[in-house]
Amino acid sequence: MGLKRNVGLMEALRYQGKGPMLTYILHRIGGLSIVIFVGLHILAGYLANHAWGANLGIFINSIYENWLFQVFIFFFALFHAINGLRIVILDLWPKLIEYQREAIWLEWFVFLPIYGIALFVIVRSGLGG
Amino acid sequence: MEVTIKLFRYNPEKDKKPSYKTYKLEALETDRVLDLLEKVKGYQDGTLSFRRSCAHGICGSDAMRINGFNRLACKTLVRDTGAKITVQPLLGMRVIKDLIVDMEPFFEHYRSVKPWLINDDPEPEKERYQSVDQRAVFDDTTKCILCACCTTACPSFWGNEQYVGPAAIVAAHRFIFDSRDKAAAERLKILNEVWGVYRCHTIFNCTLACPREIQITRAIGEVKMALTTGKTE
Ligand code: SF4
Ligand code: SF4
Ligand code: FES
Repeated sequence: MGLKRNVGLMEALRYQGKGPMLTYILHRIGGLSIVIFVGLHILAGYLANHAWGANLGIFINSIYENWLFQVFIFFFALFHAINGLRIVILDLWPKLIEYQREAIWLEWFVFLPIYGIALFVIVRSGLGG
Repeated sequence: MEVTIKLFRYNPEKDKKPSYKTYKLEALETDRVLDLLEKVKGYQDGTLSFRRSCAHGICGSDAMRINGFNRLACKTLVRDTGAKITVQPLLGMRVIKDLIVDMEPFFEHYRSVKPWLINDDPEPEKERYQSVDQRAVFDDTTKCILCACCTTACPSFWGNEQYVGPAAIVAAHRFIFDSRDKAAAERLKILNEVWGVYRCHTIFNCTLACPREIQITRAIGEVKMALTTGKTE
């Protein structure tokens, strides 16, 4: 007798893993976002070339050309790329893993200005400035 | 000070579902969460079940989720948890009763990496010599007390309990990099399997949770490297 294995999604998300776990969660969301973005892109391109689907294609185009969508997708795609680089570097040089805490700070240090500039450009052109 | 401790409760003989019970008690800042559990069991509710043995951070039996994070109850002070404490069983394991989980899958993974010295060479007259430098290579991973704080903090393990888990890799590391041992290749082959070392996505939950402060992810990284380069020196 006893309970089944006790990990549900919400239970797992509530684990207090702090900084590293946050990067892990953002990385997964990022991966998923990229799949959705690229998937939509391919789908829209395909549909736009067929008379029967052109309208739908244009509609999908308008979603990912929307600046709000771009703010979101750029956050996750950029985070996914930079976080991925951090992990690759740590995997290739395990000795550096001792500095994993600093690596995460460095990652945010690189991410924030790049995203900040992108955000500025996206929002400015989004608001027609 | 008065502390409120909320405990995960489940009695397989009576309860259909687990629940939480809250107890209030007087405690010192220097009390450990284990002391509080003992007080609850001794004075308020004798049915409470949890594991502990040494009470000094060395047997590894009282790992649990304290305020949402894996720790040893005997190494966690009230000073660090604050006056509100929630205690739950480890994640990713079957709960047997209250805070007691079934550790068998964990130990099965541990045994799967052959955590013992393998060397069929004839015994030397005195001892198998090892230099200070050779010993230092795996010093960190000798400190493991098999508490399972790491494995049960690992999202890859939550996702699938077939993943061998950080604790087993730590145990493997301890022998793979031991110059007296001859079975590194055999262990690396085991860790190269589908549910082996590559299920680790360098998340670090294990390292943060380890009460022995073992650089677990680094050890895993070194094992991955050994698999890539074939070098264990
Ligand atoms: S670093 Fe690897 S073993 Fe440790 S918690 Fe993350 S995935 Fe699990
Ligand atoms: S590596 Fe650390 S957390 Fe994992 S079982 Fe050993 S002592 Fe516990
Ligand atoms: S009781 Fe032994 S480690 Fe806590």
